Amino acid sequence: MTTTYARPAESPPTRLPREGLAESERIRHVLVAPQDRPERATAFSASLTYGWRALQKIKHLPEQLFDVTIFPIMMTVMFTFIFGGAIGGSVSNYVQFLIPGIFVQTLIMITMYTGLTLNKDFSKGVFDRFRSLPVWRPAQLVGALLGDQVRYLLAGTIMLGIGFLLGFRPDGGLIGVAAAFLLLLIFSFSLSWVWTTVSLAVRTEQAAMGVSMFVLMPLTFASNIFVDPQTMPSWLQGAVEVNPVSIVVTAVRELMNGVYSASSIGLVGLCCLVLIASFGPLSMSIYNRKS
Amino acid sequence: MIQRHIHHLTRNPDQIFTAIMLPTVMLLLFRYMFGGAISVSDTSYVNFLAPGILVVSITLISTSTTLAVQSDMQEGVVDRFRAMPMFDAAVLTGHIVAAVIRGGVAFVVMIGLGLLVGFRPAGGVLEWIGAIAMLLLFAFALSWVSALFGLIAKSTEGASGLALILMFSPYASSAFVPVETVPSGLRAFVEYQPVTPVVDTVRALLLGEPVGSSAWQAIIWWVAVLAIAAPLATRLYRRRFA
Repeated sequence: MTTTYARPAESPPTRLPREGLAESERIRHVLVAPQDRPERATAFSASLTYGWRALQKIKHLPEQLFDVTIFPIMMTVMFTFIFGGAIGGSVSNYVQFLIPGIFVQTLIMITMYTGLTLNKDFSKGVFDRFRSLPVWRPAQLVGALLGDQVRYLLAGTIMLGIGFLLGFRPDGGLIGVAAAFLLLLIFSFSLSWVWTTVSLAVRTEQAAMGVSMFVLMPLTFASNIFVDPQTMPSWLQGAVEVNPVSIVVTAVRELMNGVYSASSIGLVGLCCLVLIASFGPLSMSIYNRKS
Repeated sequence: MIQRHIHHLTRNPDQIFTAIMLPTVMLLLFRYMFGGAISVSDTSYVNFLAPGILVVSITLISTSTTLAVQSDMQEGVVDRFRAMPMFDAAVLTGHIVAAVIRGGVAFVVMIGLGLLVGFRPAGGVLEWIGAIAMLLLFAFALSWVSALFGLIAKSTEGASGLALILMFSPYASSAFVPVETVPSGLRAFVEYQPVTPVVDTVRALLLGEPVGSSAWQAIIWWVAVLAIAAPLATRLYRRRFA
C-alpha cells in the first residue's frame, strides 16, 4: 500500500531554478522557497551563538572552573599565611600587594582552557559539522573566545571575593577594581589567541596543555606577582620588568589603588595589539588550512 | 622485592626526575625570586632554605609510595606474589626500601644543586652523619605512612588525594620561612607539626649550629609514627591478601 503526501496548500509551487546555478544552490532552491529562507547569520550573531555554546560547556562541566581556581586559591592562602609575614613584613600588608597579582595569575592561567576546548572539538570532529554551515568562518574561534570572557569574569569574581575575605581593601574602590577587571579581560582575550594557535597547531589535548603550562609557569612566577622585583638579583630584575605579565600586574595594581597611569595602560594595550595582530591571523590561517 | 623496584627505577628514571623536578624549581624560585624579600637571622637565606628543600624532596619521594602501593593492589600483581613461597609483607618492605634508596639519590642531587646556588654547610662529619640519619628515619617512617595510605585508598584518585596531604606538610613548616613570621593562629600548628623538628634538626646539623630540643622532638615524633604505621600497614596488607 502506498501513501501519497500532498504538498501543504499554503506553500507556493516550486519553480525550477535557473540554469547556471551551483548544484548546492539548485538543491536549496528546490528544498526551500526563497521567501521562506531565514536570513543568513551575520558575523556578530554567529560569533555570539558559538559563544553561547562555549558557555553551555561551563554549565555542563563546572569542574573546569573549579580546576583553574583551586590552584590560585591554594597559592593565595599559602603565600598569605605561610610566606606573607616573611615576604611582606605582615600578612595584612602582603595581602594588599598579592591579591592584584594573584587576580592576574588566575585569569592568565584560565586562558589556556580556550585552546584545550578547541583542540578537543577538532579531535572529536565537531568542526567538520560546523564547516558545512553557512556562517562566517572565524565565528567558531571568535565565539569560543567571547564565551570565555564569562569564564574569566566568574573566576575573577571568585578570586576577588577571596581577596576581600582575606582583608584586601583597594584604595581605588569599586571604579578602580572595575577598570582593572576590564583591562585584564581585554588582555586575557588577547592572550587566548596564543593558546588558540597552539591548540590548532598541536595534535593532542595533552600536548596543548603541556605547551601552555611550559610557557605560563615561568611567565607567572618570573614576574612581580608575588614579590617586588627590587628584592631580586639585578640579572633577574631586568627579565621580570619586561615580562608582559609584570606589565599587566603593574597596571592592575595601579588601577586598583586608584592610580590611572596612561603609560601602564598604554603598555598593556600595546601588548594586546601585538598578541592579536600576531596570533589572530596565524590562528585563522591554521584553522582554514585544517578545516 | 627491593630488586624489583630498583629495576623499575633503572627502567623508568623519570620517577626520580619528576620527584626532583619540583624541589629544584622550588629551590631556584625561593633562592632567586623570593629570597631577597625574606630575611632570616644568623645566616643567609640560601643556607636557611637548602635543608628545607632537602626535606621537601624526600617528602615527595616518600609519598610516591602511596600511588605505587595502590597501583600494585589494583593491577593484581600481588595475587601472583601471594602464590610464591616468600615473606608475605616483602611487597611492602620492597616499596619502603626502594623509596629510601630514591630518597638517597634525591639527597645527593639536591645537595649538589644547593652547593651550586650558594649553599655553604658548616657542619662536620658527625653532624653530616646525624643529618643523614635523621633524613633516613624521616624517609623510612613517612614511606610506611604512604604505604598505609596506598592500602587504604580504593582508587588512584583517592591515593593521589591522600598523598597530597602528606606532600603539603613541609610547606606548612619551617622549611621556607622562619616560624616567627607566621601569624599567631597558624604558628602553633607550624611549630608543633612533625615535619618542623626534622627541618630544624637537619638545618642545625648541616650549618653546624646547636640542635636544641628539635632532634629529640623529631625522633620521638617519627619513631612513634613508624611504630604505628608499619604494623598497621603490614596487618592491613595481610588482611587484604590472606
